[in-house]
Amino acid sequence: MTAPRNHREMLAAVTATRRRFVTATGAAAALALTGTLLGVRSATAEATGKDSRYLFTLGVASGDPLPDAVVIWTRLAPDPVAPFGGMPDRQVPVQWQVAEDERFERVVRHGTAVARPEFSHTVHVDVRGLEPWRHYFYRFRAMGQISPVGRTRTAPAPDADIARLTLAFASCQQWNAGYYTAYADMARNDHDVVFFLGDYIYEVGIPEDGGVRRQPVPMEAAREAFTLDDYRAKYALYKLDPDLQAAHAAAPWVVTMDDHEVENNWCGPYSLDLPDPAEFVVRRANAFRAYWEHMPLRLAQLPNGPDMQLYRRLTYGQLVEFSVLDTRQYRSNQVARGAWVAPNDESRDPSRTITGDIQERWILDGLGASSARWNVLAQQVLMMPVDRVAGPGVESPMGTWEGYSASRDRILRGVYERGVKNLIVLTGDVHANFAGDLKLNFTETESPTVGAEFVGSSISSEGDGVDIDEWGRTILAEGPHLRFMNHQRGYVSCRVTRTEWTTDYRVVDRVSDRTGTVSSRARLTVQDRVPGVQP
Amino acid sequence: MSGRRMSRRIRLGGVALAGAVLLPLGAVAHAGPDRPPGRPSPVEFGAAPSLVTVSGLPCLSGGDFTVSMTNTSSRGLFADMTLAAPAPITLSRRLFSSYLPAADPDQVVSTKVLAKVPRDALPGRSTIKLTVERRTVELPVEIQPIPEKGPGDNLALGEQAFASSTHGNVTLCGGVDGNKNSEEWGASGTHDATAGVFPDTYGVILPAATRIGRVELYTLDSARYPAAKMGLRDFDIQVHTSTGWQTVAEVRGNVMGHVTATFAPVGADRVQVVTYDSNDHKYSRIVELEVYAS
Repeated sequence: MTAPRNHREMLAAVTATRRRFVTATGAAAALALTGTLLGVRSATAEATGKDSRYLFTLGVASGDPLPDAVVIWTRLAPDPVAPFGGMPDRQVPVQWQVAEDERFERVVRHGTAVARPEFSHTVHVDVRGLEPWRHYFYRFRAMGQISPVGRTRTAPAPDADIARLTLAFASCQQWNAGYYTAYADMARNDHDVVFFLGDYIYEVGIPEDGGVRRQPVPMEAAREAFTLDDYRAKYALYKLDPDLQAAHAAAPWVVTMDDHEVENNWCGPYSLDLPDPAEFVVRRANAFRAYWEHMPLRLAQLPNGPDMQLYRRLTYGQLVEFSVLDTRQYRSNQVARGAWVAPNDESRDPSRTITGDIQERWILDGLGASSARWNVLAQQVLMMPVDRVAGPGVESPMGTWEGYSASRDRILRGVYERGVKNLIVLTGDVHANFAGDLKLNFTETESPTVGAEFVGSSISSEGDGVDIDEWGRTILAEGPHLRFMNHQRGYVSCRVTRTEWTTDYRVVDRVSDRTGTVSSRARLTVQDRVPGVQP
Repeated sequence: MSGRRMSRRIRLGGVALAGAVLLPLGAVAHAGPDRPPGRPSPVEFGAAPSLVTVSGLPCLSGGDFTVSMTNTSSRGLFADMTLAAPAPITLSRRLFSSYLPAADPDQVVSTKVLAKVPRDALPGRSTIKLTVERRTVELPVEIQPIPEKGPGDNLALGEQAFASSTHGNVTLCGGVDGNKNSEEWGASGTHDATAGVFPDTYGVILPAATRIGRVELYTLDSARYPAAKMGLRDFDIQVHTSTGWQTVAEVRGNVMGHVTATFAPVGADRVQVVTYDSNDHKYSRIVELEVYAS
């Protein structure tokens, strides 16, 4: 194990003095955003040189639907895992079209964006002026090539009383752990919106034989990611997967990140592995930049160095309001490095937070002001406590809300006191399906139920699973608030109406080869104004 | 994933950012006269050491160096360094892109790179080109000849090692790197990745079938970790001949740090140690494996 040398020693040796220049890179970045995101035609569009290599190797995506807008995304990458995706060091104009029909006979919006090398030739177009609650099709054209067609859907108008919403949520898709069969199923089913709750990539090294995928992995994507080009190569490798591309092309995605988009179990400014905070700042900034580049996110989410405004709210008429959380960037340091230990004075310390104070206020203010029938927190880690020790002992994961139980209790008490309607929490991270009730006080079974939590298993991380194992049985037995557990891979499909929330756990019998089959393992419901999962 | 399966530790081994490497920026001339006109770039860059030495010896090739970029402005920025080397040199990294924070004092952001050449590379000079914002620095490379091995030399030194598995804390080449000092075990020894699971295999591929008659095996034997507690206990030494693997020594109940196996000389192209148990019953720890003609 090579330990990093003393950072102070290094800094002391650097004698260069500070200079104050406006950087060329900074200026270019600002241009890229106005030009790209607003779809402004580039005044400096360069020659549209043709490239015989296929450019749209990473597919298309859309995201963050508003009643009149949606972000559409692609990246030009003829050699996606290679440096710069195999693109030349120049801007490339990219035409885009949004149409009401798949054959593009009724194009309603079009324009030209600029794919810029400093953003690895990604394109994020925030298409405005669309009709609410309508399906659209979109595509791109660059250097004489046309992209695959994506399908997306805007959100309903704020006052629209829509009868039904379908959504899917997913998390944890370690590439070398298994195939994305779950995404093929997700893409076949009609979802109005898809939530991704974290661990889109894994920063760690990938075996050169590709793990269970048994395909050679280029060195750029195989090594552990620290630099920006390392992270970009991971996204390129992951997004080459055809099932993932299909799921992106089928519906708009709303994404948030957990730990592995940066580093295992990072929290706030703290890294478990890089003792020098200055070193982690660089890693975090590199990871955030690559994340934004490869996700269908708006300019509002563009990182500023190591900081990114990721928590945000999306409203689906009067039916559902989604608060998308960031439980990584502002959390206090973890107890026991996030391990499973008995809750203790530190984990219960009310001065600790998993959301940060500002986001906590934002969550409660938003929930308190919401007029939506269903109020959803789309977020990363288990909110309800779980205990893996049978009998009197307790071991709970300190990287979850239970490791910040006062922070959790402030949210749930705030929800209770504000009379927030129909709280639903959607969760990823744990590579297992769970469903349970969120209690005002989890230590008292008679304590009021404040909402329901649906935890979705991993798409692929951890490889083939089993329906239930000893670990899961123990947790179920130890948690009177728990209603369901399954330890297979998969995703979760939900159908929301004015009277009922239905959660359908779609599980894959195996991810170690491409022939796995997907089925519904359980269907659980929550009734309007009846907090918690129906028994 | 948090908590339950946090067995993994991130290793900085091959790639490390700021903080890992001390980089004298003056080591290599940077920002040469070909800087494009206009505003001077705030990114300083360079490499260390100022001369990279590499040879075609598979397990003793050298070739490692560090590249770095430093933001001298007052605003954080991203920068790209491209790395290029002419054949037959190959690089472990062709691009180094990173956030460069604005810090006072300036913060060096660096990463490690490994240059390699094939065994038959001709000795001589070459250069690696490092380019940032159209400014190029040439980093000289010396391709060194593979040392000739005479009759009494260790034929395994620096040759390609192989193993049934290699623990993440050590390197595969650690058992043929010429360092048999157990006190420097952590840096220059090797062991398997499968605690408590045997047998384990560690060996070396000779560049060609060669007549050999003696193998010297050094297992971990330091003041803190004596061989009787941590070294190889039960193992076979095998040589690969035209008829397959032949066992030339069977050692059982060993407590010594150094074991010599002498046998009737035989033409062989590989030598391996197959370990059935170690004195702590966990890992098969090899400090050095040496092979001699006689």
